[in-house]
Amino acid sequence: MSSVVNEVERQITSIVGSDRVVVFMKGDRQAPQCGFSAQVVKILDQVVPSYTTFDVLEDPLVREGIKSFSDWPTIPQLYIDGEFQGGCDIIKEMYASGELHRALGLERVAPEAISITVTDGARTLLEDAQRRYGGEPLHLSIDASFGHSFGFGPAAGGELTVDVGGLSILLDPDSATRANGLEIATDTTPQGMRLRIDNPNQPALPSSALASSATGNGGGHGSAVTAAELQAKRLSGEPHRLIDVRTPDEREIASIEGSELLDQDKLAELEALPKDTALVFHCHHDARARGAAQRFVSRGFTRVAYLSGGIEAWAREIDRSVPRY
Amino acid sequence: MAIQIHRPPVETSDRIKEAILQAIPDAEVEATGQGGHFEIRVVSREFAGKSSLAKQRLVYRAIADLMQGERAPVHAVDRLETVTP
Repeated sequence: MSSVVNEVERQITSIVGSDRVVVFMKGDRQAPQCGFSAQVVKILDQVVPSYTTFDVLEDPLVREGIKSFSDWPTIPQLYIDGEFQGGCDIIKEMYASGELHRALGLERVAPEAISITVTDGARTLLEDAQRRYGGEPLHLSIDASFGHSFGFGPAAGGELTVDVGGLSILLDPDSATRANGLEIATDTTPQGMRLRIDNPNQPALPSSALASSATGNGGGHGSAVTAAELQAKRLSGEPHRLIDVRTPDEREIASIEGSELLDQDKLAELEALPKDTALVFHCHHDARARGAAQRFVSRGFTRVAYLSGGIEAWAREIDRSVPRY
Repeated sequence: MAIQIHRPPVETSDRIKEAILQAIPDAEVEATGQGGHFEIRVVSREFAGKSSLAKQRLVYRAIADLMQGERAPVHAVDRLETVTP
């Protein structure tokens, strides 16, 4: 019995050490299975681009073990840098007070420190849309994976207002940290004019050539594939391109055989492909891959997916020769 | 002939209060809820100078027995307020 306990403890220690930010929760990031877990995911999605989740519903031993490990009786549980932070209530409190940002080494910014450029064409497009939405305030949200979306509606409170030549843009405090230097312009496509956003704050992916849809619904992230589903696709010879959106340094540490690094040239090549080309994006976990998939969906690609759990899941479930980091 | 003594079952919310008072004798405790889900508010000088984590831990430790196992009377604490008077 005690050896089982030790085993579970070792397993939990290694999960806690596998990433800076680790959440023990019910369900996963895409499909939380309980309201408290969902609230924690929603907060973390706003603050960190990538984190690890462990679904306790999949493992009854960890589900019980984590309670004594953390001396905390409920799920979800958040760890940052190996240190237990608390459950849902505490995380909400930390988020509201700014303590969560401090624990993660993030800083909030002042509105005067944010400069956004909007071309005349883009301003006209946004103002037209605003009129259609009854003149409601314009919100821009930039999630931690640099997915951009515009929306119209009353202010929720706590937003920063950036004035761009008479056009007011409301940013929530987390989006604001990713907004300085943003350029909003337009592209002419066969479907008409659409907004193009260049965000110099976006790491890893070359942002200049990537666009984000401004239709409001954004067109989705593409679909998630599990490591097992991707393996099945590979074994069956179903044609697809596996695109690695991590940095070259990360690729040095570990890579999936047959994957291709997304650099500027690769990006240009992919964007010129027929829109029904099957593309699967992967990163370390899946935040960056989701961001990339979202951008290709918004560019009109119809068969876009991302590897759920990233190369980490691949190394754990499919190919143990792939190093984990 | 067996004698049966009928008495009303002890409400889980009362067991929560009792357990917390045992661990934190000066506490003022409110516990409401049903179906295994509870909202708890505790006021105590014990909380002074403690972090949120430490405060909540004090309470959770006190009611640990009520939250143990699959058929625990307390399935979830939907809201836990820890207040220093």
